[in-house]
Amino acid sequence: MLIELTDIVKIYNQGEVNEVRALEGVQLSVAQGTMVCLKGASGSGKSTLLSIIGCIYPPTSGRAVIAGTQLARLPDRFLTIHRRQTIGFIFQHFNILPRLSVLENIILPLMPLGFSPARRRAMAEPLLERYGIHHRRNFPAGEISGGELQRVAIARALINDPPIIIADEPTAHLDTHLSREFLATMRELKGEGKTIIIASHDPLVTEDAGLDRRYGVQDGRVTQDVC
Amino acid sequence: MFVNPWSLALCLLSGITLFLILVACKTAVKVLRHWDPAADSQRQIELESEIWLSSTLVQYGLAFQIISLLLYVLAADHFSGMLSGAMCATGALLANDYGLPLLIVKIAGMFLYGLWIVLHQLDISSEKYPLVRLKYILLLLIAPLLLADTALLILYLQGLNPDVITSCCAVIFGEGDKGAVQNLLGRMGSQTTLGFYYSWLALLFVAGFLAWRRQEIILYLLYGTAMALFFVLALHTLIAQLSSYIYAMPFHNCPFCMLKREYGYIGFFIYLPLFATAFCGVMPMLIHLCRARGILAPTVARLQKKLVAVSLFALALYAVLSSYPYLLYLFRGGEG
Repeated sequence: MLIELTDIVKIYNQGEVNEVRALEGVQLSVAQGTMVCLKGASGSGKSTLLSIIGCIYPPTSGRAVIAGTQLARLPDRFLTIHRRQTIGFIFQHFNILPRLSVLENIILPLMPLGFSPARRRAMAEPLLERYGIHHRRNFPAGEISGGELQRVAIARALINDPPIIIADEPTAHLDTHLSREFLATMRELKGEGKTIIIASHDPLVTEDAGLDRRYGVQDGRVTQDVC
Repeated sequence: MFVNPWSLALCLLSGITLFLILVACKTAVKVLRHWDPAADSQRQIELESEIWLSSTLVQYGLAFQIISLLLYVLAADHFSGMLSGAMCATGALLANDYGLPLLIVKIAGMFLYGLWIVLHQLDISSEKYPLVRLKYILLLLIAPLLLADTALLILYLQGLNPDVITSCCAVIFGEGDKGAVQNLLGRMGSQTTLGFYYSWLALLFVAGFLAWRRQEIILYLLYGTAMALFFVLALHTLIAQLSSYIYAMPFHNCPFCMLKREYGYIGFFIYLPLFATAFCGVMPMLIHLCRARGILAPTVARLQKKLVAVSLFALALYAVLSSYPYLLYLFRGGEG
């Protein structure tokens, strides 16, 4: 299994009045080259679960083995390196920096790696071509359309060629056409061997035929495999 | 003499470091009782986050404490201007019973604090915290020394009284009876000392080069032990013999006047390489045990080689700078 979560508990503000038990004894296994959806209402714990898979937060207790390593528990300096190599993120609002150009946004994850500018551009070129945004490469990202923004976010997630792609509510701000386009891209990436994990409560996503598994997330528990 | 920028800086530095270390001692106790890298429990995960922060703070605290040795000597030099009879740091350090012990504690501490920092750097060079227990045991051993450092500092500053007459270095290190030279460390004959000193120096270069070349434990052990002994011998020789040539005065043997402007601050350029060579020379021997943790073996081996190289370079620098006035006198008959 590429992702193996065992007895994961996540508690925010532990011991304080505003303590939140976001995840409770979660067990989850995801095989390589599969597409998985975490389905649940707002506040159910989907995003926290993605954050633990994405090594943004360590669990309060439990074991989260990602690509063979307990990534979230690595010391910071190693965590950053491993996360950069292992996981690509697509955020709900895409988190694109509007003042930077399309190209600069895409190569942003490469900046700390010490590649030369020419090498960074060379790595971004195929993605710009593949997602049809080459003609926009020097445009400020704040001036392009929603569909293009989405493709920039995908290209940025792929620039390091990570084996795992995590998408948190990726279609929340897209119309039906763009949502379908996004899902088609994810299916294509799955076909190339990438492991895709999408958290969503959009029926268009949760009913997508490309999904291998659908997990329900409710009250911090992964309740069922609904596929 | 607390209301003084130097005193305040020293007290603040010591106070902050002591506070950080005492807080880290709490973490150390937790580490000794509960550390289990294989566990997925909440306690272990929290401990992993805690040691990261705690170790980083301790590292900076100890680094500042090492710097405080320099600050202390400079402060003593500054105090000498306010104390009757004192001409340099020597008078200020001997103005009461705590000045010299504090200096010795700070010098000893420098090596221990440095060792902790080296162990910490080795520990965080691996993904698996292999030296956590070891470095927190060492921290618990360091804590009493820091406590002693702070206590001595307070007692020393409290005991500094401008109205009490202290001695100047010319009196303390002046000509003693029977023609021997008196110094902080004892008495020894002139030619014997120099002969022994330069032979030891030559031995060190050979041992150091062999250790750097072959990287064997026995050579690190030989170089480290020889270096530790040399450190004491070098301080003795510098004070009792070589300082006279630096000052160009036969009976002036002060260890601190050479830090002053009138001698071109040459003391800093002599003491810094001496401390650097001693520290880098002893460390490869001390960290060799860490090679037993397989995961660290290549990193430790690289670091040992690098430390010996730095040590040899600093030793050469020290040898040249400390012997230059003596050799000048020997071959040209004085300052030329």
